[in-house]
Amino acid sequence: MDLLSSFKDNCGFGVLASIKNIPDHKIVEDSIKALERMMHRGAIAADGKSGDGSGLLFAMPKEFMGYAAKNAGYDLPEQFAVAMVFFTDEKQKDIFRLKCEANDLSVLFFRTVPVNTDALGKQALEALPSIEQVFVVSNSLMSAKRFDALLYLARKEIEHSIDDPDFYICSFSSKVVSYKGLVMPTHIREFFKDLTNKKFKASFALFHQRFSTNTLPKWRLAQPFRTLAHNGEINSVEANRYNAVAKSESLKSEVFTDEEIKRILPILQEGSSDSASLDNFFEFLTINGYDFFKAARALIPAPWQNAPHLDAGLRSFYEYSSTCFEAWDGPAAVTLTDGRYIGCVLDRNGLRPAKYIITKDAKIIIASEYGVLDIDESQIVERGRLQSGQMIGIDLKFGKVLKNDDINEYLKNSKPYAKWLNRHMIHMQEFLDSSNESIDYCCDKLVEKQLYFGYNYELIDMVVRPMMEEGKENTGSMGDDTPLAAFSKEFRPFGDYFKQKFAQVTNPPIDPIRERVVMSLNTGFGEIHNILSETEENAKRIKTFSPLLSRDKLDVLLSFGDEKNPRYEACYKNQTFYTVFQDNLEVELDTLAKEVAKSVKEDKIRIVVLDDRAVDLGKKFIPMAMAIGRLNSVLLEEGVRHLVSVVCITGEVFDSHTAAVLVAYGASAIYPHLLYATVYDICKSKELSPYRTRKSLKNAHHAIDLGFQKILSKMGIATIASYRNSGLFDCLGLSQNVVSKCFAVSHSPIGGLDFADIAAKIEAKHDSVYKKHDAKKIFPLEIGGFYKFSLGNEYHDYSPSTVYAMQKMVETGDKRDYEHYKALINNRNQKMIRDFFALSSDKQPIDISRVEPKEAIFKRFATAAMSLGSISPEAHEAMAEAMNRIGGMSNSGEGGESPERLKSSKNSRIKQVASGRFGVTPAYLRSATEIQIKLAQGAKPGEGGQLPGHKVTSLIAKLRFTVPGVTLISPPPHHDIYSIEDLAQLIFDLKQVNPKARISVKLVSTVGVGTIAAGVAKAYADKIIISGGDGGTGAAPLTSIKFAGNPWEIGLVEAHNALKVNHLREFVTLETDGGLKTGLDVVKATMMGAESYAFGTSSLAILGCKILRVCHLNRCTEGIATQEQELRDNFKGTADKVVQFFEFLAEDVREILASLGYTSLDEIVGRSDLLKVIDGEFAAKFDFSRILQRVDGFDKCQRASNPPFDDNEFEKEILEEIRPAIKNPDNKIIVEKEITNLNRSFGALLSGEIAEFYGDKGLAEGTVSLKLHGIAGQSLGAFLNNGISIYLDGYANDYVCKGMHGGKVVVTPKLSGEEFAAAGNTCLYGATGGELFIAGSVGERFGVRNSGALAVIEGSGDHACEYMTRGVVTILGKTGINFGAGMTGGIAFVYDKEKEFIDKLNGELVFAQRIDTDDSDEVRQYLKRILKKHYTETKSEKALNILNGFRQEVRYFWLVMPKDMKSPLNPEEGN
Amino acid sequence: MQSFLKNKRVEPNKKNVLERLKNFSEIYERYDTSSAKTQSDRCVQCGIPYCHNGCPLDNYIPQWLKLVAGSDLKLAFKMSNESSPFPEIMGRVCPQDRLCEGSCTLNKDFGAITIGSIETFITEEGFKNGLSLEFPGITENKKVAIIGAGPAGLSAATFLLRRGIAVDVYEKEAFAGGLLVWGIPGFKLDKSSVFRRVEILKNAGMKLFTNSEIGRETSFDELRSKYDAVFLGIGAKRGNKAGIGGEELDGVYQAMDFLGSAQKREIELARIKDINVKDKKVVVIGGGDTAMDCVRTALREGAKSVLCAYRRGETGMPGSKKEYKNAIEEGAEFKFFAAPKEVVGEGSKVKAIKVVKMEVTQDGGRGKLVEVANSEENIEADIVVMALGFSMDLPAFVPSAGIKTDEWGQILVNDKYETSLDNVYAGGDCYRGANLVVNAALDGREAARAIADKLLG
Repeated sequence: MDLLSSFKDNCGFGVLASIKNIPDHKIVEDSIKALERMMHRGAIAADGKSGDGSGLLFAMPKEFMGYAAKNAGYDLPEQFAVAMVFFTDEKQKDIFRLKCEANDLSVLFFRTVPVNTDALGKQALEALPSIEQVFVVSNSLMSAKRFDALLYLARKEIEHSIDDPDFYICSFSSKVVSYKGLVMPTHIREFFKDLTNKKFKASFALFHQRFSTNTLPKWRLAQPFRTLAHNGEINSVEANRYNAVAKSESLKSEVFTDEEIKRILPILQEGSSDSASLDNFFEFLTINGYDFFKAARALIPAPWQNAPHLDAGLRSFYEYSSTCFEAWDGPAAVTLTDGRYIGCVLDRNGLRPAKYIITKDAKIIIASEYGVLDIDESQIVERGRLQSGQMIGIDLKFGKVLKNDDINEYLKNSKPYAKWLNRHMIHMQEFLDSSNESIDYCCDKLVEKQLYFGYNYELIDMVVRPMMEEGKENTGSMGDDTPLAAFSKEFRPFGDYFKQKFAQVTNPPIDPIRERVVMSLNTGFGEIHNILSETEENAKRIKTFSPLLSRDKLDVLLSFGDEKNPRYEACYKNQTFYTVFQDNLEVELDTLAKEVAKSVKEDKIRIVVLDDRAVDLGKKFIPMAMAIGRLNSVLLEEGVRHLVSVVCITGEVFDSHTAAVLVAYGASAIYPHLLYATVYDICKSKELSPYRTRKSLKNAHHAIDLGFQKILSKMGIATIASYRNSGLFDCLGLSQNVVSKCFAVSHSPIGGLDFADIAAKIEAKHDSVYKKHDAKKIFPLEIGGFYKFSLGNEYHDYSPSTVYAMQKMVETGDKRDYEHYKALINNRNQKMIRDFFALSSDKQPIDISRVEPKEAIFKRFATAAMSLGSISPEAHEAMAEAMNRIGGMSNSGEGGESPERLKSSKNSRIKQVASGRFGVTPAYLRSATEIQIKLAQGAKPGEGGQLPGHKVTSLIAKLRFTVPGVTLISPPPHHDIYSIEDLAQLIFDLKQVNPKARISVKLVSTVGVGTIAAGVAKAYADKIIISGGDGGTGAAPLTSIKFAGNPWEIGLVEAHNALKVNHLREFVTLETDGGLKTGLDVVKATMMGAESYAFGTSSLAILGCKILRVCHLNRCTEGIATQEQELRDNFKGTADKVVQFFEFLAEDVREILASLGYTSLDEIVGRSDLLKVIDGEFAAKFDFSRILQRVDGFDKCQRASNPPFDDNEFEKEILEEIRPAIKNPDNKIIVEKEITNLNRSFGALLSGEIAEFYGDKGLAEGTVSLKLHGIAGQSLGAFLNNGISIYLDGYANDYVCKGMHGGKVVVTPKLSGEEFAAAGNTCLYGATGGELFIAGSVGERFGVRNSGALAVIEGSGDHACEYMTRGVVTILGKTGINFGAGMTGGIAFVYDKEKEFIDKLNGELVFAQRIDTDDSDEVRQYLKRILKKHYTETKSEKALNILNGFRQEVRYFWLVMPKDMKSPLNPEEGN
Repeated sequence: MQSFLKNKRVEPNKKNVLERLKNFSEIYERYDTSSAKTQSDRCVQCGIPYCHNGCPLDNYIPQWLKLVAGSDLKLAFKMSNESSPFPEIMGRVCPQDRLCEGSCTLNKDFGAITIGSIETFITEEGFKNGLSLEFPGITENKKVAIIGAGPAGLSAATFLLRRGIAVDVYEKEAFAGGLLVWGIPGFKLDKSSVFRRVEILKNAGMKLFTNSEIGRETSFDELRSKYDAVFLGIGAKRGNKAGIGGEELDGVYQAMDFLGSAQKREIELARIKDINVKDKKVVVIGGGDTAMDCVRTALREGAKSVLCAYRRGETGMPGSKKEYKNAIEEGAEFKFFAAPKEVVGEGSKVKAIKVVKMEVTQDGGRGKLVEVANSEENIEADIVVMALGFSMDLPAFVPSAGIKTDEWGQILVNDKYETSLDNVYAGGDCYRGANLVVNAALDGREAARAIADKLLG
């Protein structure tokens, strides 16, 4: 697929249904209205008409269809179907008719759907297909079930025979009909004239508004699909697609014959979106008679593997279904229907909102937001929301609502799952012989193997030892400054060619530590049986808890497949294949794969063991990733993939990255023999006891397991089953031939080395180990130099000479010293992608005096984000001062900035908003020229961070609104951005609080970032930053620093071009960073599309940083990355030095411009035609055409800003009303207004305005009182400042009081209390102060990262108080699970009448205690005061009852506190 | 690691001065295990190991520091001996403050890691604990002759033996060790550690022919024909003269003769020239490490007074600061900015040395020295030792075999240490001019690699 025009999508969605299944035109009208009310969740073009599409899926409006048929002269029989089709060609109708007839169906007539094209935007109109309905009846007498089956069969056949991507059958069913297209919700009624016809009556409608990351008009992409509408993103879709093909190999259907099944396949339509693939698969299951609820839960299961309190029966259902299905994993709120049932299901981590209301007239509405329909509160029976992993269903036949518990009850009792599992499932652990302590991990010729497989001292010291000693991966700091493996002159592990994929913007990464409950590495072995039948047979699996095998587990696994062993079972028969080659890697690889396929087919091998231990003098290893990748593709081609599990016994795996590569390309399990042997050898040489030796081996195992979880979670995937076969890597530096043969699902953006080149490297290494007469070394291993610099080893951009040169040039200010430095970098010779391009101008050189002055260039320079906390105040201020002096910009990082600095020359003009929201206050945001939302960081995209307690000095604690010594955790995702429409919301919030600031969004380079960038531009960002994966960090696991994220060149060009293709480039500016060091780097980046540039590590080096890579240890000798006073005293950096550096750079840029004949950088933005690939044999191995690709369109931003569609008139008017109070705070003002869900971010604009004049101190309490009636839109009270009180008589949506700093918000719905939801998800996220009282329950993640607000609510969803560092949260009712995960400060009171809270507490960092003892009297009285206040504000009945019986009720309270304010987590160990 | 804020730099104990002056034994005690650990633990483990970069041998310093701190002496011993032919010797004689320790990140502000002392500790402690260095034995059918058993020659021998190549070493003196034995006084380097290395090499298969001056019994051509390759590590032994009047007087000695005489007495060998300084006034001319050696040797041999005259100031001294400090502690006097003008004699004997006062002008790198007019003075002296550096003194076979040299008489080699003659290699002072032991060790190592690569293909 062409990357530049590919897309991801997200949205607002919902369903409106008559529970009693009574068709009504009002349902049609209301569902359209609800859709309109969520328009802000989609993208809207300037004409107000063009959007990304919307649609509705209705229960068949039989009356209307009968009427339509009558008009056409037909009488409809009881049994009929209507197809809604986008035709692009008249001939397609013939095919349609023929295929129907072939399947015993007949087409009655084609009805042109009446449309009004005035409702369409220009692009939509140009792409408008011919929209027709096809009325179809059965040709012979048949059952309704058979009729539906034939409709499906016919549709699949029609789809297979029409090869036109724009031909599309929206629906073809007897039960539902779809009306959708490239039309705005506000215009859909106008467009489809049918919808206004009063005869058009439906009993339910699924509706969906799409937000696509691109702007290319595609009618077919609108949702709902045939069975579902999806809000979210399936992160594991590549794996699911591969597995769908594998599973198709063994289908047996009760509905279709084998021959018919063949005609249906493939199950998934090619070129579809993730949601469409899910729809295809779900539809296939249900049409084949698979139970509706089971199918839904098999594809989107609740977390069961690590949920200790899950019902055992339900767990059995999930475990059983996991033998056939892996989760379609990722953020998902999905509404589904098969015509009889309607369901709505939420992903296992609750990452999308789904809120429902049941009314007295037996209607149910489920939608992303409350308030999409005006429902009088007196009509509401129930107002709730789905929690993580929950499902709700409606049985239209019996007119019943099925709650989560009802569905679970049904699932677990439908088949004897537990019995089947007990009988057939083999758990490896049971067979381990615990008395067997003599297992020998000793390896013959260990050193030789270590040498050959690339083990060196550094690897053992920095990777292996920490794993065996600490049980987790080693942490490092700063960035990666080495060349890509393919560019390297050194022998590099094959895993180095793969860069991990990660989630940004359209999907969130997961925190695998704090949200461990959703993660699982559970691994099974054995054949995948017919997925369509639920039989006992399917339970036959061998199971273990991790894809990494210990020696004894490997032995157990192999014993079941060994005919000579008494345990032998034919279904686990195994055979070992040696992954070695002698002469020709490519040929022998193919032979190997064919041999395996043959043995699967002929010898009925079911467990394939790939083993590289056969290397010797004559045999070289085939890279295991290549072997497994090739095999995975050949087995699928041969149609036998479902029969086998593949185990890799390999010396190449030494960390989680190398292991994850194998799993992503198909390995079921890995036995890393050399890693174990190395650990064992170390233990032996240290003469450790057998106990400690075993412990060390276990530790290494555990470290890789944790690493697996981290790598999965980066991509937002929770289970290894959904990750296997996903190919979630970019292949950097491998040829198209290698990639298409072995790693076909992955991208290879720069082409590269072919089999012969890889073989040559392996052969050279082989010769050096086995053939060369080398010195008898006393220390036999190479020293290594990949993680740290070492003479004679891998190239590093930062070497002693570059560091000396940089520091000298800013010391002396001598141009010659800069020239020396410049030469070191510019002559490094083919180390980075940009080194492969020479400048080639189309003009004659000009005199330098004609080139724009350096001041014009300074404006484009910024220092990269580094928080106060990660670096010392001295270093932070020096950079700010320098950048302000030259008119560039410094970046605060996220960690606040002291109020004195905000209006001084030390103000950072860029203020960052990251996932921790530390110190993000109204005044902080208001002081910014640019507000940067950091979605990902180059060094560790997809991961959060942590400021260890020992770095939290009193200054830092003050700025971050916490207590000194408290460890501060930044979560991996922004908890208010799980999706692109969420980002649009945050951008909208920020544009309200500071309307003058530009909003920039920082992304990390990866293949596909172009799509994301286009989405970000559509979310109204003003600027997009593409960071290189080589960027720096204060602390991150080594595998993240090294193996996640691509060089910036690849991402920048892709983003630039994708924006151009989508006509969005003119709306945004582009910036890049990642190892930029000289003027030449700047010029090349400009030609690739960047308009500005950030410098991170280089600015630090200028300030004295010597690249010690000890930032994470607080021991920076230069006083930069440390808070230790003694070290800070040693800081020698000055603003002058930084200024000097940028002067050198700007001068360098000017000189290059002059030599090219251009007068300004502006003229060369995006001019990749001025770059030419250098000559030479080595350069010719790569394919740089994608980097140099130039598409038509604007090359740079053409607008001053990118204003949102919604101009927030509502609040602007209120601002004018309260202006007198701002001018004169003694004038207290009360304003009363109606509010709807369309009025978003209410309070942010006012708060920003107050901060402009009064800073964070704001106004006196009660200066401005806002009394609101109705249902508030998202982000009510965001960034609220002191002096504003908001009283909402009604209820609210997601993000209430995010970033609140002061003031007060009171939410009082008429239907109040625990059982009624009063606000949505992620309320109070990152609050730094203020008060919030809600007389009702709220959604997931309440109070996440709260650092100062006081809040009272009456019930909450999962993950409440996560990462909290300060403040007080009181919950007068039930909470969800995982309470207090990562909570390092603050306190919470929880009222737990049912005595079930303790099960829901995540006790890692916090503990709960009772407060009904003498010594807690003070706490008790404090609680009482809080309750009184809550009652005063909300008149809460619950609060009143508790207060009235306080003496008794107090014993039901828990006080939750961090175990240790200085957290037991040790950040130096990478927690 | 990184405990540098808590633990300060502490050098190994030095014996007290009175004790020191009694004899020629080493003045530094060695670290005990716990101090070695504490001192190693201070290491930052820099992302760019500047110490490693500052070491001519590219020793794996941070790696073995971490191993010492982690109590893995065995691995530290192996790693330290991997890159260096005799780390316990280098730890004693290297000017660390100009090399590894001078490059150490902590050097300026926190005190460098005591790399040299830890280096010595590792191998000494290793030997003490019975660790040994494994050699493969003579496994190859190749033979190399090494002329000169100094640091370059012994280094080359070490690394050739590790490749299984037979090595015959020809030494014109009675003992192997070269400069390590004759040039470096015992109080800096205990000779037994040099002899221990020679023994190790002999056990590994090295054949040593002492008192064998090439060109006397065996001709160079004969040697060449008998061996697959020849390595010249013949040093640069002629002391530079000051070029002033009176240098021929009795009591004027060259540093190397002076030091050698003392060393020979120490190892109980007849002195070539019996230089006796007891109760005499000694003036040493020069300011480098050799000058310090002479000063301190004279003090130990019972000189009445010892004065060191140097034409630059204290900060201009090229040698190791440590040695200067030791010399002062031991009672030496210094006269800076004093350049020798003439040795004044009384009859054939020295009486005094005339020096002139120098001044530094701010010009160029170290500044330019000019004489101050009318500032001459005489310093009384019975013995004058010239420690003014060395120049080449190549044996006759070098030019006659046609080995090319440069204008200063230094042997020319290419980047593989090959001289202009086929299969003849050279390294150490004979190609560099007088230089550090560590550079000779480096040359020996790299030449051995080049030789082995060539011979073994």
